[in-house]
Amino acid sequence: MIVGARLIRDHRRSLLWWSVGVVALVLFTVSLFPSLKGEEALDEVIAQMPEALRAMFGLDTAIPLTSPAGYLQGRLFGSLLPLLLIVFAVGLGTRAIAGSEEQGTLELLLSNPVTRRTVVGERYLAMVAMITGLTAVFALSLVLLAVPFGALDGVPLSGLAGATAGVFGIALLHGTIAFGVGAATGRRALALSSATVVAVAGYLAQGLLGLSDAIRPLRFVVPWHWYLGRNMLAQGVAPDAIIVPIVLSTAIFAAGVTAFLRRDLR
Amino acid sequence: MEDVAVRTDGLTKHFGAVRAVEDVDLVIERGEVFGYLGPNGAGKTTTIRLLLDFLRPTRGRSMVLGGSGGDPGIRRRIGYLPGDLRLDPTYCAGDVIDFFASLRGGVDRDWVDALCQRFGLDPTRPVGELSTGNRRKVGLVQAFMSRAELLLLDEPTSGLDPLLQHEFNDLVREMAGEGTTVLLSSHVLPEVEALAARVGIIRRGRLVAVAGVDELRRTARQRLDLHVAGAVDDVDLARFREVPEVVEVSAEPAVIHLVVEGSVDGVIKAAAALEVQRIVSHEANLEDVFLRYYTPEDE
Repeated sequence: MIVGARLIRDHRRSLLWWSVGVVALVLFTVSLFPSLKGEEALDEVIAQMPEALRAMFGLDTAIPLTSPAGYLQGRLFGSLLPLLLIVFAVGLGTRAIAGSEEQGTLELLLSNPVTRRTVVGERYLAMVAMITGLTAVFALSLVLLAVPFGALDGVPLSGLAGATAGVFGIALLHGTIAFGVGAATGRRALALSSATVVAVAGYLAQGLLGLSDAIRPLRFVVPWHWYLGRNMLAQGVAPDAIIVPIVLSTAIFAAGVTAFLRRDLR
Repeated sequence: MEDVAVRTDGLTKHFGAVRAVEDVDLVIERGEVFGYLGPNGAGKTTTIRLLLDFLRPTRGRSMVLGGSGGDPGIRRRIGYLPGDLRLDPTYCAGDVIDFFASLRGGVDRDWVDALCQRFGLDPTRPVGELSTGNRRKVGLVQAFMSRAELLLLDEPTSGLDPLLQHEFNDLVREMAGEGTTVLLSSHVLPEVEALAARVGIIRRGRLVAVAGVDELRRTARQRLDLHVAGAVDDVDLARFREVPEVVEVSAEPAVIHLVVEGSVDGVIKAAAALEVQRIVSHEANLEDVFLRYYTPEDE
């Protein structure tokens, strides 16, 4: 695992800063919860909002925003958290192959006794490990920091684990798209833009497709829908929201590797 | 053990409409220092990248040390210096070297230290702060550190000052003395001439000539200046123009300038009729041979 460990070392500084950022986000979010708790007027405002808008923000009338599950879903799991983790994962995925290839360092690495297969495999595992690591930093800091503010009261551990796995899944999927496209083409900009397009288009589609009953079934192709379709903190684990992105990621990775093993380095 | 270090058969690489390498048949014997010469963009780098399996040939094939350049077992026995060397700027030089050493399952520390010392490389300096020449040294150290059987060095001395170039030449001679095969690409002739016994000349993707340096020198054009007593007239010049080996004739009042390709015997005989006071022969320069292959006659 020399190659994979090295990629993690390459990101040592960025990992530190991302962790600091995630912990700060958690602390900021949970510390605001007490001031919101019991503000029923807010729940009424949300009830007045169009359903599409609610869906976009991961809100649900059945779970009040003033409850821990509703608040954490609206402020963290349904908004900023997946966004941050996706940006983090896409950045890693873009740099892993295409980025270092354009930088010119991949070729020198491959002049050593390592195969392309080893490099692409270990770097992917390193990426998965780093996304897992940042997700774990998030989950751990939430468990520790939410308690004094009562922001996890009544949220079952299974729901928290499920929602965390779900946000890992959606980050992994978008990171893998960047990684796979980068491995297949060696083009950094293409890797970055394809993952970004999937993320942004998916986010918009998740909201828009909910507007009408006729097109609503189409949401099943949208990753954001798998993830935002259910508030796992309150409604229990949705296994498909975790399993589908992982299976899909594996397939995208395999396709990317196949192309990488055949093509010319740039 | 295979006695050929590098062998290509009809090796061809096209990038779209660009014929980067076309039908290259190259054999480099073990223990040989081979100069691979050509102007920029002739296909030198592409050939080396094909040898290392970074590129896949459009046609033909290549073997290095009896196997594929993509095989880790083969790569372990190759030292490579890319023409366009890029290193991660966030590490220090020693760290980069240690990383490559660990990929090779460890190398002789004393040898690495000796290499750093010879090239005057401070391994504690961050790569991002190094000058082009100093980065080049990191590349040279990592290429030489595993005492590989085959060195593929793409434009190795570009960016090195003359002193380091000298150190580099000594090192290549030492390695060659120990039986290392060296492929040295360059567009600067004298640096290859000093090291290589054989030279291949590539032009527009085609290997236009492979010859021993001595042989090239023999067929090389020579410049001779004949300083004669008295004025030179047209009759004298015509005498030289009749010599088949003479390519160019020009004159100053008391000097005849000749460019001769091959033997100078005819020139000496033609000069017998004149009162020659002095013959100045310019050192046979491969640059002239080189130019002959370069000068596009079809354009």
